[in-house]
Amino acid sequence: MNSVQQQEIHDFLLTYFSSNQCDVIENKLGYMTVQLTSEMDKALMNRPFYWHYIEKTGGEPNPAKLTLITNPADVPDEVKGEMIHFGSPRLHKIFESTKSLASYIRLYEDKASRTMEQIPLYPWLGLNVKISYQCDLKRDIFMSLGLNMISGAIVEGFHDYVLTLNVTPKIPDFSFTLSPLIMPKSAMLRLDTYIRKTFEGDDHVWAEEAVKRWNTDLALLEHFYEEMEEKNETYFTEKEALRAQYEPKIVISIINGGLFYLSGQPV
Amino acid sequence: MKITVHSDPAWGAGLLSKVENDGPWGNWELYKLAIHVEKQLVIPEFAGLQAPKYLSDLKPLPHQLEAARQVVENMNGKAILADEVGLGKTIEAGLILKEYMIRGLVKKVLILVPASLVTQWTFELNSKFFIPAVAQKKSYGWEAYDVIVSSIDTAKREPHRSIIFDQEYDFVIIDEAHKLKNNKTKNYEFVQSLKKKFCLLLTATPIQNRVDEIFHLVSLLKPGHLGNAALFSEKFKGKGRNIIDDKHLKELVNTVMIRNRRADTGIEWTKRHVETTILDFSPSERMLYDAVSAFRPYSDDAIGAGFSTMTLQREACSSRDAVFFTLKNMYEKAENPTKEFDDKLHHLIGLVNAVERNTKAEKTLELIKKINDKVIIFTEYRATQTYLQWYLKQNGISSVPFRGGFKRGKKDWMKDLFQGNIQVLIATEAGGEGINLQFCNHLINFDLPWNPMRLEQRIGRVHRLGQEKDVMVYNFATKDTVEEHILKLLYEKINLFEKVVGELDDILTKLDIGNIEEYLIDVVGHSRTEGEMKIKMDNLSSLIQFAQDMKEGEQRAATGNS
Repeated sequence: MNSVQQQEIHDFLLTYFSSNQCDVIENKLGYMTVQLTSEMDKALMNRPFYWHYIEKTGGEPNPAKLTLITNPADVPDEVKGEMIHFGSPRLHKIFESTKSLASYIRLYEDKASRTMEQIPLYPWLGLNVKISYQCDLKRDIFMSLGLNMISGAIVEGFHDYVLTLNVTPKIPDFSFTLSPLIMPKSAMLRLDTYIRKTFEGDDHVWAEEAVKRWNTDLALLEHFYEEMEEKNETYFTEKEALRAQYEPKIVISIINGGLFYLSGQPV
Repeated sequence: MKITVHSDPAWGAGLLSKVENDGPWGNWELYKLAIHVEKQLVIPEFAGLQAPKYLSDLKPLPHQLEAARQVVENMNGKAILADEVGLGKTIEAGLILKEYMIRGLVKKVLILVPASLVTQWTFELNSKFFIPAVAQKKSYGWEAYDVIVSSIDTAKREPHRSIIFDQEYDFVIIDEAHKLKNNKTKNYEFVQSLKKKFCLLLTATPIQNRVDEIFHLVSLLKPGHLGNAALFSEKFKGKGRNIIDDKHLKELVNTVMIRNRRADTGIEWTKRHVETTILDFSPSERMLYDAVSAFRPYSDDAIGAGFSTMTLQREACSSRDAVFFTLKNMYEKAENPTKEFDDKLHHLIGLVNAVERNTKAEKTLELIKKINDKVIIFTEYRATQTYLQWYLKQNGISSVPFRGGFKRGKKDWMKDLFQGNIQVLIATEAGGEGINLQFCNHLINFDLPWNPMRLEQRIGRVHRLGQEKDVMVYNFATKDTVEEHILKLLYEKINLFEKVVGELDDILTKLDIGNIEEYLIDVVGHSRTEGEMKIKMDNLSSLIQFAQDMKEGEQRAATGNS
């Protein structure tokens, strides 16, 4: 087991639970025990019947306590818990929940003002996306974009830029926001167009190859059913299966994004 | 070229509503975490395998990883996995399925396996691959769960059948797929009608190398790959023994099939030790054996007599209970039995009752005590199985039975008991297939099957990947009986017990003997003298030896070490 990765998972879990108001009862080397809130129990524990019952009867909810082990070598024998690693379904459930809890954000740059001067903050639409090239094979590209909602300028690596700033969910003192000229809806459209342009010019050998494979198998299929004058259902099922298997497509999925009010211009 | 682009309008709509309602907005820490996680989950390349880094406890062997990579990269996710027995086809299948699931190309999965393996598959996918597979129980399961494991016999029946046909499967796995070699069967037609985007066919015994069988199997996976039926039969049928010798055809098949051989994997196997004990009957057992050997139910019945005599002889080598069971059946089945028939039968039953002990059972008890560890006993007969269980119990040893006819739950239960506190598992032949008992390394052949393949399957239950100790095989045979003939004249001659699992498969396939059991019965039953039988057996064993030499020659030629 990769211990660097496991340490990262440990830190991730701590951040996740504390950001979701769950008490970390115990945080030791290699494991932690967490008292879930009702919300987190519903999101993670997969027991809809229990919650349905509690809500119907008005019973006292008793959200679960979880012990998660990130490095069994460090854990005393008497500690019983669930091993969490990169492949464990629980971790992926937590990943999913992280994504759905933080789909949309609004942040303001907090730039300490020395001169008591009012600092103007420019509105940006930030977007983190995953572009997937998909046929019978698949690869992904991660992309973080920001669009200045006044000038219309678009920058890449936007998230990394924001990470270098102090940001806060409330508008800081001595700051004021400029009104956007480009409305969110049209900003979205511009970013969508931008994203599509990034790959439109590429030569998509992968897709051409996939179509070749598809055509080869299609030709075989036609040949197989050649003698059959009235094609049966199986033929059409198989044909459709080949489409599902090979048809190249590009899927743009949005991880998260939101409105960012920033003082300067990302470089 | 023009490629369809899919984007997700829901997110944009969500943003607008957040703007309009002034929130609620997400938490910055979680927002950062989500991006961090997503970056980790990005698949950077079309090629290569992602699965291994998600499977912390699994250490796939090189040939298993290579098989998975081949299937994903070069076979477009449709393949026949035909490794020799015991090389871990299930691991390969799990790796491939996991790979597609990680890449987000597969969600809905149907896994069809023999009923006796449903629980094992479900368990392995969950524990080794973290794939949330569910064993099919209720008919709503097909829709409710994404990854479902079922037996084909359940799946093809209503109401399941119609529900299954309404599902869009991304991935279908079929274990023991060699059973689908006949395109006229219901099972074949059922599998053919499934929508299979990606598909793996696993076969435990190599495809029997008959052209029509391989044609049907490949056509299930990739219709047209070997041409259509009319063309195919015109080209290849009627070519002598129907064995694949066409080079072009072989190459075509190899583009959809992976077949790892033990010799190529370089895996170190534990040793196998064989100990054969020849026993003497007790006087009363001998009397019974001699009497059934001379038994002809009807004096004028020449045909068929050989068969029932042989059956009784083999049973007499196992237990008096087995003999009694067959006699009782004969008695009950006979319509208007003659007085002569009646008398003969009663005489034999008298001899059965006179047998006061079972020499083999005594020897077995002694052996079990000496081994003082888990033991599997194989017998051909249910009556013997029941008797042995009783006999061992009398002597303070508890055992569990195992039969092919047991329901899934009961099989699992018996296996669990055996893995727990029970020292002995007594299995009949049918129970020999489909259970993995590598936690045990002592095997007693209480009696011998007349089909070397079945013997190999017995041994294969314990001598497989995951067996950490040397395997001990104990054979019992009774002196001066048909059993001794088979053991001495055939099994020992061809070094059956020393062969690694899977080897014999190949050899017998090459020979194309057909039903070897019938052949043996014919040799033993219809030889007029012992000399004649010996010659015929010799012929058979030299034939097998010859096929083996041929195979070795081929392998040498293939590796260039001639």
